[in-house]
Amino acid sequence: MAVEAAQQTSVQERLAQLWTARLEISPIGLDDDFFELGGDSLTAAELQGDIDKEFGVEVSATTLFLSPTITELTQVIEEAVAAAPSGTTGAHPGGRQ
Amino acid sequence: MSTGTARDLTDPGLYSQGEPHEVWRHLREHDPVHWQPNSGRGGGYWVVTRYADVERVLHDYSAFTSERGTLLNLLGRGDPAAGKQLAATDPPHHDRARIPLKQALAVKPLASFSDRIQAGIRDLLAPGADGQPFDFAVAMSQLPLVALGPILGLPTEDYPRLIRLAMMSTAEEDPEFQLPGGVEPTLKRGHREIFAYFSDLVRARLRNPGDDLISVLAETEVDGERISTGSVISNCYSMLLGSAGTLPHVPIAAIVELAGSPTYGDWAAHPELLDSGIEEALRWATPASNFMRYALHPVELSGVPVAEGDAVVAYLASANRDAKVFPDPDVFDIRRRPNRHLAFGVGHHYCVGSHLARLALRLLFTELFATFSSIEVVGEIERMHSTFLAGFKRVPVAGVPRRATVEG
Repeated sequence: MAVEAAQQTSVQERLAQLWTARLEISPIGLDDDFFELGGDSLTAAELQGDIDKEFGVEVSATTLFLSPTITELTQVIEEAVAAAPSGTTGAHPGGRQ
Repeated sequence: MSTGTARDLTDPGLYSQGEPHEVWRHLREHDPVHWQPNSGRGGGYWVVTRYADVERVLHDYSAFTSERGTLLNLLGRGDPAAGKQLAATDPPHHDRARIPLKQALAVKPLASFSDRIQAGIRDLLAPGADGQPFDFAVAMSQLPLVALGPILGLPTEDYPRLIRLAMMSTAEEDPEFQLPGGVEPTLKRGHREIFAYFSDLVRARLRNPGDDLISVLAETEVDGERISTGSVISNCYSMLLGSAGTLPHVPIAAIVELAGSPTYGDWAAHPELLDSGIEEALRWATPASNFMRYALHPVELSGVPVAEGDAVVAYLASANRDAKVFPDPDVFDIRRRPNRHLAFGVGHHYCVGSHLARLALRLLFTELFATFSSIEVVGEIERMHSTFLAGFKRVPVAGVPRRATVEG
């Protein structure tokens, strides 16, 4: 289990898996700061690409760099997915690719 | 954190009152490898002030590593970019990683941007072109983006924000740029916002490539492989930070020295001295006044033993006034030759943007001389408050428009 929390959503879980892959640590708390876990700007930039691919939406790097927690990112990803025209996001509901 | 002594080189206040050339001269003559305790933060570092020693520290990467931080503000903390960004990486990896940027910033690819850079420079001088007073330092603060913007394909409206973020990341001690939380949050915020900005931009360029440098970098291959997105972003970051806090201070320092002096007219009247004058302006200003290294094994500098692991700070700005290399070092001599100044550093880490800097300076001085037959400082000058960047924030000037001179 990658996410330490009673209530998990699939976006949170998939995000945590992306973080774990980049940071090589687990578990990851919902409010852990990406940079405090050892991430740096280059890793964050690569993570942005991972998020694009995984969720099929483009999230502004501002969230990733300035509010780098699973909770914050989940919110913007969910908003972006909801705002995207259906069928164009390529998101994979319910789990990994 | 200042102890207030005239010799405390860690005190940014020392620099806001003027560059400490007197302090450096004294050190060069009497104490060329001087131990500077780092007031308030513990530790300390060697202050290296002679040309020969500065050159050796920068050149000899087998004795002095860049991988534990090269900026004094990283003293004792290590560099988060170690081994990842060019400035914080030793050869041989450094030399390979530098290839894309070096190719992109070579003389030839830059030439096609001349017209656009020149137009931008004309706009910077426009506020004073009719003889009205204007702040030359404020105008020149935009010069790096006037030069880089067309090359990276940056929207003009983003220039002021990018300059501000770059200043937060390089002149974090200056109250004008510091955030209420202090030095650390300022550095962190500046750094992260720049990365975020370029992350979004690089992503957009990967989707819609253009003829700008970011698109070119994204398609560059080293050893048969495309460089990573992170590396493209990091190169953009380096170009912004490498130029924003440094380039403006070359023309500003030159004008502060030459305003009201006959040298301005002499230089303007001799186009063949454009390049030697620019090299002298570079020597004179040396905006990146020092770089740090760490000794990898015990070494001697000017007879002083430096222990393994010691921080060594090479003062380029002092080396560039060393009378052993530059006769009459405190005279701004537009005819100075040879002029082997260290303003761009020396060796493997020699400024990768030097061609762009020289191009921008050539266009700037040409435009300046074409616009004003003479120039005067007309108000109070204000310097940067920084232990790293030697420069000016406010330099009110007024020029005499050449048009008016010709007509009347």
